[in-house]
Amino acid sequence: MSGIRLTLRSPLAGRVDLRAAFAASWTAATPAELARREVWSARSGTVPLGELFAIDGTPDGSATLAGDLTLAERVGAGLAEGFVRVDGNVGDRAGADLSGGRLEIGGNAGDSTAEGMAGGLVVVRGNTGDRAGAAAPGRKRGMTGGELVILGNAGDETGALMRRGLVAVGGTTGCCTLLSTIAGTVVACGAVGAEAALWNKRGSLICLGSVDPSATYRYACVIQPVYLRLLFRRLRDVHGLPVTAAHIDGRYRRYSGDFSETGKGEILAWSPA
Amino acid sequence: MKIRGVHIEDTFAEAFTMRAARLVITARSDRWVREAALKLTGFATSVIGCKCEAGIERAMTEAETPDGRPGVSVLLMVMAKDELSKRLVERVGQTILTCPTTACYDGLPDAPDRVKVGSSLRYFGDGYQSSKVIGGQRFWRIPVMEGEFLVAETFGMVKCIGGGNFLILAEDADRALAAAEAAVDAMHGMPGIILPFPGGVVRSGSKVGSKRSKTMIASTNDAYCPTLRAVTTTALPDTVNSVLEIVVNGLDAAAVSDSMRAGIDAACIPGVVSITAGNYGGKLGPHHFKLRDIMGGKGA
Repeated sequence: MSGIRLTLRSPLAGRVDLRAAFAASWTAATPAELARREVWSARSGTVPLGELFAIDGTPDGSATLAGDLTLAERVGAGLAEGFVRVDGNVGDRAGADLSGGRLEIGGNAGDSTAEGMAGGLVVVRGNTGDRAGAAAPGRKRGMTGGELVILGNAGDETGALMRRGLVAVGGTTGCCTLLSTIAGTVVACGAVGAEAALWNKRGSLICLGSVDPSATYRYACVIQPVYLRLLFRRLRDVHGLPVTAAHIDGRYRRYSGDFSETGKGEILAWSPA
Repeated sequence: MKIRGVHIEDTFAEAFTMRAARLVITARSDRWVREAALKLTGFATSVIGCKCEAGIERAMTEAETPDGRPGVSVLLMVMAKDELSKRLVERVGQTILTCPTTACYDGLPDAPDRVKVGSSLRYFGDGYQSSKVIGGQRFWRIPVMEGEFLVAETFGMVKCIGGGNFLILAEDADRALAAAEAAVDAMHGMPGIILPFPGGVVRSGSKVGSKRSKTMIASTNDAYCPTLRAVTTTALPDTVNSVLEIVVNGLDAAAVSDSMRAGIDAACIPGVVSITAGNYGGKLGPHHFKLRDIMGGKGA
C-alpha cells in the first residue's frame, strides 16, 4: 500500500495530543521528517512522533494510523491537506480546526470531534461523543465550513454554535442538537434528542427520525424542498448514509424558529407517507 | 465537391466568439421542464434583436440531473461578458422562477469564470431567502407561493462560437424545407450546440447593414432572395427557387463542425442544388468553417 503508515509502537499508557502531526504541511514529508515532529504526551511531555509510532511508506498525500488511539486527542486537528485515515477509535477533538483535506476515522471518536472545523471533510464510521462540530470552549463559533459525516450516532450538542457547513449523522443525535446555531445544516437519519435546535438563528435541522420541536418553533407547512433532493442524493451516493428514495421524494413538516431568536431557522421533519 | 449530387460550394461559414452559460432546468415532470425551457429560450434567436441567443441543447434523464428529476440542458449565449449575467437574471427570473416545480442549476460548474444569477435573484425573497452549500456549491432557496425555488448562486461562463451556418439552395420551397428539416433532425441533440432559430431554421438570412437605411444593422440578404434575382446581383444558380439557412452556435469549434457535417450530409437530398455558407469575406469573425474541409472530415 502506498502512502505513509504510522503504526503505534505500543499501546498508549496515557493521553497524547497529536495535533502537531498533520497541522503543518505534511503531504510531501518523508517518514523521517514526520517522525521528528513533536507531539505532546501526558506522561512524557513533548516527544517526537517517531517515539510513539513506527513510520514508513512513501509520501503520496495520504497517511494511515494503526493502533488503538482512544487516548489520542486531536488526531488530524488542524489538517489542511491530504487524506488521513485512522483504522480504529480516536479520542477527543479529532479533526478540530480542520480546514481542508479529509480525515476518516474507522471506529468511534470522542467528544468535540471536528470542533471549529472550517473546510474539508471528516468521516467517522462509528459514533461520536458530545459537541461534534461545535465550538471550542471560549469560542463563539463552531463549524464554519466543510462536511462532518458521522455514520453512527452523535452525542449531545451536535453542531452547537455552527456558523456554516454540514453535519450529517447516520444514527441518532443527543439533546440540544444545533444549539445556538447561527447557520449551517444538521441532518439526522435517526431520532433527535430533546431541545432540538434551541436558540437557532438561521440553521436547518433535518430529521428523518423522530423530533419534538420546542414551543419556540411554529409549524409552517408540509413541503418537498428541492434542495433536500440534492443533499440526500449526495449523502447517500458519496457518503453512504441510510437515505432512501422515500426520504428523497418525501414530504417534510416545516417548523420555523427559534422565535426566541430571529425565527429564520427551520426544522424539517420527514413525514412518512 | 458533390454529396449525392448536391454541389458543396468552396466557401466557409464565418462565426464569432460569444460567451455562453449552460443551464440545467429540472421540474416535477417533463411537461413543466418543457414549459420552462420553451419560455426561457423564447425570443432568443439572434443578438441583433433579442440581446442573446438560446436554445435547448438536449433532454436529460433523471439519472443525469442534480436532483434526480426530469430536466433539460439549455445554452444561452451573448456577445459581451458583462451581458451574460443580465440576460440570465432576466430570463431565469421571469421564466424559471415563475414556472411551477422548477429548479435551475449550473451546467458548467468547472468553468473558472462565474456570473451571478441566484445571488441576484435571491432579493425576490424579500429577506426570507436562505442559502445552502451542497457539495461545495451554493444554492439560493427563494420562498414562493408554491413552495420554494432553488437556483445556483453563480453560473459558469465560457467562450463559445456563434453564427456557424450553412445555406440550402433548392429547386423549390418544399424541397428546401424538407432538406432543412432533415438537417435539423440530424443535428438535434448533438452535444454542445444549439440551433437558436425557429425549429433550427432561418428563412430570412441577412447581410450586414442596409443599402437604404443607415440605422439598420442588418437587412435582407438580397443576393440569396429568389424574388430579387432579376433586380440585384444574385448568388443563386438558375435552378434555385428557395433558400433556407441553418444557424448553429456551439461551445467549441469541434461541436460546430461536427453538427454542420451531420446537418449538411442530411440536407443533401433530391431537389437540393447546392450547399453554401454565409460569410463576410473573413474580415469580421475569427472562426471559419470551410464546408469542404468539414465534409472531408477535417473539421474547422
